[in-house]
Amino acid sequence: MKQIEISPVTRIEGHAKITVQLDDSGNVSDAHFHVMEIRGFEKFLEGAAVEEAPRITPRICGICQTAHHLSSAKATDAVFGLKPPETAEKLRELMLMGQYIHSHSLHFYFLGAPDLIMGPDADPAERNVVGIIKKDPELAKMAIKTRAIGQRITTAVGGKPIHPVTAIPGGQSKALTTEEREKILLDAKEAIGLIENGIGVAKPLFEQYSEAIETLGPVETYFGSLTDNGNLSLYDGPMKVIDKDGSTVHEFEPADYLDYIEEKVQPWSYLKFPYLKQIGFPEGNYRVGPLARLNVVDAVPTEKASALYGEFKDTYGIAQNTLLYHYARLIELMYAAERAVELLEDDAITGTDIRNHLNEPLMSRKDAEESDAKMRGVGIIEAPRGPLIHDYETDGAGIIQRANLIVATGQNNLSMDIGVRETAKALIHGDEISEGLKNRLEMVIRAYDPCLSCATHMLNGESPLVVDIHDSEGDLVKRRII
Amino acid sequence: MVKIALEWLASCSGCEISVLDLHEGILNLLDNAEIVYAPVLVDTKEIPDDIDIALVSGSVRNQENKKRLEELREKSKTLIAYGTCACFGGITGMADLYSPEEVTRRSYSDNPSTDPSEVPSEVVPELLPIVHPAGDLVEIDYYLPGCPPKEWLVRDILVPLINGEEPNIPKKSVCADCSRRMDHDEFDTIHRRIEGEPDPEKCFLSQGYICLGSATLGRCGALCTKAGIPCHGCGGPSLDILREPNHDIYNCLINRISHLSKMPGKDVEKQIYDIGHLIYGFCIGSTIMEDKKVSLITELVKK
Repeated sequence: MKQIEISPVTRIEGHAKITVQLDDSGNVSDAHFHVMEIRGFEKFLEGAAVEEAPRITPRICGICQTAHHLSSAKATDAVFGLKPPETAEKLRELMLMGQYIHSHSLHFYFLGAPDLIMGPDADPAERNVVGIIKKDPELAKMAIKTRAIGQRITTAVGGKPIHPVTAIPGGQSKALTTEEREKILLDAKEAIGLIENGIGVAKPLFEQYSEAIETLGPVETYFGSLTDNGNLSLYDGPMKVIDKDGSTVHEFEPADYLDYIEEKVQPWSYLKFPYLKQIGFPEGNYRVGPLARLNVVDAVPTEKASALYGEFKDTYGIAQNTLLYHYARLIELMYAAERAVELLEDDAITGTDIRNHLNEPLMSRKDAEESDAKMRGVGIIEAPRGPLIHDYETDGAGIIQRANLIVATGQNNLSMDIGVRETAKALIHGDEISEGLKNRLEMVIRAYDPCLSCATHMLNGESPLVVDIHDSEGDLVKRRII
Repeated sequence: MVKIALEWLASCSGCEISVLDLHEGILNLLDNAEIVYAPVLVDTKEIPDDIDIALVSGSVRNQENKKRLEELREKSKTLIAYGTCACFGGITGMADLYSPEEVTRRSYSDNPSTDPSEVPSEVVPELLPIVHPAGDLVEIDYYLPGCPPKEWLVRDILVPLINGEEPNIPKKSVCADCSRRMDHDEFDTIHRRIEGEPDPEKCFLSQGYICLGSATLGRCGALCTKAGIPCHGCGGPSLDILREPNHDIYNCLINRISHLSKMPGKDVEKQIYDIGHLIYGFCIGSTIMEDKKVSLITELVKK
């Protein structure tokens, strides 16, 4: 038996490898997508004051930092029973639009599109954003400009482009000034034009690669996303799950997620495999993210994105083809820019009533230790890659006792795994595997824009060699691992 | 052409994104340099042999991270520890507050949404019992902390290096860039961040909120305090603290709060809650910090 290994999977966020097992006649017997990394946030959040979580958890991911920041802040609102004022909610949603503009344009232009613009069989040395810079500098500049606008919006609202800080329990720590508003409103309007041009470049590529769209990453799944009465809603809403025909299977409030979502552990990946609990594993496999959202919602409530959505829907219906994630991502990129303009044109955005405070003092840590009082809060948001759940349980003083996180990428883990296996089975026959063929397996993964930095739920390991240093009393003073 | 490599270990990718946040500036950088290896951007699977400048981000969490770091060191003329994780272990080092078994249990067998199971062990790399900053395991030529380093720093260090010159970057603490007013105010209570409404003009420490600005390397422009949030120390320890063996983040902070308030140091210590997450959050994995005589890290780390 022979094994093909693709490691590291490149142009994704984080560490992964693909393995493909061939039988004696050179056919694929099995294949897997392995997530190689894990850090352990769920545990080390324990003991932290819960209001610190929104500034610790963005470090789960430097790409979807804002989504973690906001989902975490929403969970802390719930822990303290604080509802942010209207302006704060709008600022947070605007921050999320900055996140989408940055993340979706990063993925399409820098990570995903090189396979389509340079071609899946292009020289790997050229098949990247630097290749695009050389081949089409104007397109590259447009890509860079679009993403920069997303980061500028995040900076203006969140304080920093990476790991923003302003969302706090009960609201925001910083109002948006009129000068900042004017600047980023111009930016957001410019983004709409840039994105229109980008979609003009991308559309013919989807036609050109229609065969790849049909064949790469085949899988049929349920889809889940937040909605607002059928409208695309990224910041809030109940979660809706549909089957492959588009019929609603579940609709639930975020705080009830444990009744609907369960995670499976597989021995060959550090990333867990969430599935629909009431349907079971693996039948309850569901997908999330841009394609899922467009499948679940009935409307995209901004002008240009709505037109694109209508066209997409007319062509593909309930779309199962994995590569269409790219197309859906671009439609959402347009929505994010248009929604940013809407939010910025609303005068409430520069309001100064941005934070609600605790009505009563917190229980002291000492009293909390002697009391059974508990508080819990669940925050959910549509991260660029799908629903992101933060669930914190605290003692009476608001010190985290247990944290549970379900990240967006995990929910696509099973589909990525199946997609790699089925694609390998369809394409690989015999030992001679071309570079372009291996790249097609990676294209399956890239379509999901997985964010494996987010796959941070645990750590483990035995020390290969431990040196303990004890003092004269015999107490351990230092431990060194060699 | 100067050959540049970017490698990430256990990290959040924020460091790589900060490089991309040079935006159009990347195009200028690429006039005289080429990216020969960077898993986030290009498809090269093996680390090439002749790298001029390598930026390594993230901490060393597992055997694969360790192997890649050693290989990168061997193949690079200049190695830059880029970001607080690579320099001091970063926030990933908070995992050292718990034993690996405690963490494993939480994720795989005592987790509200997970069907209890064994720990994954096939194909995936074995994890190390504690988190290591890159600089604790291999020789580093330049340390550039920051979570992530501000994008302009990558330009300020890379451009001179590409031109064969010595980079010159700021060495001040966060306080140097913060415009808040530090007053002696005789307060007698340390506040949690959820409590009260801090005066936006006044130093957080002067109001009894834990802010690590005075103990943290700047270069960030004090963006958090300007946005109404106390410094969490993400830039890593200030140069004063790094240079002085008896200077530590914890004692530096106690002394300062004591000086600003009417509380003796011992009373301040009684009120400081959660030293692990709040005081050492970004450097608990660092040997440099742990080795200080006055450091409390040794007491906090569990294995």
